[in-house]
Amino acid sequence: MRTSRLFLALALPAAGLLGFSTLAHAETKNFELYGKIYTKWLYRNNDTSGVLSLGNPFWPDNMSGDNGVGTEFELNIKGRVGDKVQAGVRIKSRFGALWQDWWENGDISYDAENTSGESLGMNRAQYMKLRGYWIQAQLPIPFLDNVLVGSSDLGMFNEWTIGKVRYIDRDNGKGIFVQGAFDEDYLRFHAGIIALPKLWVGPNWSTGVGDANVRLPFYSQDWAYGLKLESDVYDGIKVTAIGTATVDSEIDLNDPDAVGSNNASCTDELGNAIPGCERNGAVDWTDRYTNIVGTLETQIDTWDGGSFNVLVGASYQNINTAAAGNGVLLNNGVFPLVYDPSMFGAFARVRAELYDIAPNVNLQLEYFNIGQHFQTIFGARREADVLLTDGFVEGGQIPTLNSANEFVDFDEAWYETIIGWHGATAILGYQSDIEMSLEGTFLTYNTNAQNRDVDTKYPDFLHTDGFTDTDLYDYANVYDRGRDPRSVFRKNQDRMSAIAVLKGLWHTRLGNGLDVGLKTKFIWDKDDRSDTTAADDYLGLMSMTRLWLTYPAADGLSLTVGGQFDYWQEDNRRGTIEQGYGDDTTTKVRPWLAMSYTFDGFTLKYQLEYMYKDAQRERDDNRLFHVIRSKASLEVGW
Amino acid sequence: MKKLITGSLTLVMVMYGGLALAGETISFEDPKGDDDGPGQYTYPTDAVYTPGSFDLTDVEIADKGDTVEVSVTVKAKIDDPWDSRAWDGNGFSLQMIVIHIDTDHKAGSGYKDGLPGFNVTFADDQRWDKALVISPQGRTRVQAEVSAKAAAMKKDILIPTTVSVRGRKLVARFAKKDLGADLSKQWGFQVLMQSNEGFPDKTDLLTRKVNEFGGQHRFGGGSDYDCDPHVMDLIAGKAQGDKSEKDAQHKMLGTFKCNPDGSGTRAVLQMVYPEG
Repeated sequence: MRTSRLFLALALPAAGLLGFSTLAHAETKNFELYGKIYTKWLYRNNDTSGVLSLGNPFWPDNMSGDNGVGTEFELNIKGRVGDKVQAGVRIKSRFGALWQDWWENGDISYDAENTSGESLGMNRAQYMKLRGYWIQAQLPIPFLDNVLVGSSDLGMFNEWTIGKVRYIDRDNGKGIFVQGAFDEDYLRFHAGIIALPKLWVGPNWSTGVGDANVRLPFYSQDWAYGLKLESDVYDGIKVTAIGTATVDSEIDLNDPDAVGSNNASCTDELGNAIPGCERNGAVDWTDRYTNIVGTLETQIDTWDGGSFNVLVGASYQNINTAAAGNGVLLNNGVFPLVYDPSMFGAFARVRAELYDIAPNVNLQLEYFNIGQHFQTIFGARREADVLLTDGFVEGGQIPTLNSANEFVDFDEAWYETIIGWHGATAILGYQSDIEMSLEGTFLTYNTNAQNRDVDTKYPDFLHTDGFTDTDLYDYANVYDRGRDPRSVFRKNQDRMSAIAVLKGLWHTRLGNGLDVGLKTKFIWDKDDRSDTTAADDYLGLMSMTRLWLTYPAADGLSLTVGGQFDYWQEDNRRGTIEQGYGDDTTTKVRPWLAMSYTFDGFTLKYQLEYMYKDAQRERDDNRLFHVIRSKASLEVGW
Repeated sequence: MKKLITGSLTLVMVMYGGLALAGETISFEDPKGDDDGPGQYTYPTDAVYTPGSFDLTDVEIADKGDTVEVSVTVKAKIDDPWDSRAWDGNGFSLQMIVIHIDTDHKAGSGYKDGLPGFNVTFADDQRWDKALVISPQGRTRVQAEVSAKAAAMKKDILIPTTVSVRGRKLVARFAKKDLGADLSKQWGFQVLMQSNEGFPDKTDLLTRKVNEFGGQHRFGGGSDYDCDPHVMDLIAGKAQGDKSEKDAQHKMLGTFKCNPDGSGTRAVLQMVYPEG
């Protein structure tokens, strides 16, 4: 409230000078403002300019690059419209301009070089964009607690249905949401209708734009519908049911009233009238893509000794092949769904957590079985983790082929697709001044098959082989960075894997509180691939060990020094049956320094690391990397 | 081999050493359904604030050798919707708990005002001497906030060495040496339940505001000024979970007064003395 009073104090005299004192007083007392300035420095010993390690993989943007500093500003305005009605907006500058971009208005320059500073695009203009807007009302309607119109992070559903959107995307989702209860304990509900993002949710990451089968993309009637019902059926037992439907509609070109109709004249090629064809001033739609997903979750917390969670779900997808091109065929397998016009799928996850099985010792158990045809186009793409296991890549495991690892810097987490995973995890944890956990995961794959159709039906994301190197990742795989984290389908696969992870963090209480951390992971990954020969059998033995020290040197100041050593031995890492495979070994060493400093709303973070990688490859040239890179960020909010 | 055995034994001793010296254990209960502050507070409207998330049910404070272990249980499962590990947090997102302790029960001794942001004071003979903070924020962030907003109280504000989540329970471990003495049932305790605010106001120690009308991330039912207590739940009466303690809480937190201009007097809280 201090903010609003401050604003009032500043705004009133100014408004008085302008002669609007009455109006200003009436309006500004309901305002609440807060702002934030974020600056990022990114540097690496290479020759790219920009402030983003990995940008758009398909349409290269000019903000991607490893050397630069840029700033963005955010302004949030919240207001009270009435006692039960609030509204808010978030205005944010476009990120991507470098400090060196003096006078720049945009990113498209004249054909010939000049020094005018004029340009035609807007990417580097740092313009303020209306990112989010919402109106929230507690209307006097029985059983209804809240109505939200406008922006939402979609966090009311779950990762398997409609996932919470990424933090920086949090206001991009727009819709209408109602929340209420028929009984506060036994039946609460949350329902929403959400505008589909036209460049993400749908076949080929679009709701029609760019699809050769869609002559006139009609995205303004594409919606997702969601309903969540919750019930505390018993003290400590909560049941949650979620149902969602994602529907991408297009114009029915058989309708004579449609622009570009196939039947505009209602006559066939011979000039005969088409039965039932009549212009009536109305245009029919047809569905391009439909995805229905439902989950049922039971959380049991009735026992002091532990908790249990059972989550099951099912999905159905329908592709109108006349309106959705086959991206598996056209894009070399880079496509966010199985190209199956009518497909059912299901999954189950059962989790148990047992507390204090010995003093300070907990045990977590999880069984998971994700059907190879489970499909959720609007599920969580990132910043989520639906399994207990540490997985193959650090970060999280997510239940959609539509996962996203772009628009990230080198220090950010990665997310991998778990479609087809079938296995179990046990984690033994100990917590006192020493926190330790030991994970064991064994999994096989529902996607194991021979002669799978990866040419026209199952997307393999082109790069299916080899352990994924998230430290030095490039989308074109020109450095052999390994399997795409979305690649769960192979033509020939007979795979099983085991993951073991030991984590430790010792709070030594030395000085201000020195922490010593350790993480070591070992992965055994076996894939016999084709059952016609043993010559292509893959065996990967990957070990990764990290040790670090963190010390709170002063109030708000934390210093970290650490190092990581990886050694991967992979037999038959990549190749083809026809050309043969090669045995590769990879050695990586990564020492790093990190610092964070917080003081009175001033938050500074810095990380500097050296990455050495030596890939000894049997069939290809060896690769050597000496990478030095750093990232700093400064954030102030008020 | 001898080194391995010696090392293993040393580790076991470190891990279990505290248990051998375990001492006093103090337990409190709190009735369910009283997570409404002085009686009319409401949760924020965002879906992450699931019902019961701020409803205290049990508190246990145990002397475990060189560590004091605090367990706080709430009615709902403790989730981490904001992925606290991504911001060096402790595995949960929503709750923020402070346990104020009166170690001497002397009039005028200790701090009268609660930690910044809670907007409460303590009775004159029940002022607090130590405060245990259980926040999802990492140690560095909490230390920085304490230095900036509660510098005068800093030496008596304890930050846990570790915090872990077990279903509906938070378990925090504090270094006993920072408490200054062995845990005692003669001491007074007050457990205040709040919500973690990662972008707090300049005067608030990582606490979420209570407004007159709730918002997406604001509690409702209070005042837009800082005269009202920003506390959703606490322990009251004898802290045995009796239903009458709900009324006692409402009465205690209802002792504030807000004037139209935002001035007023803050709620005066009572400690619970197990054997005091």
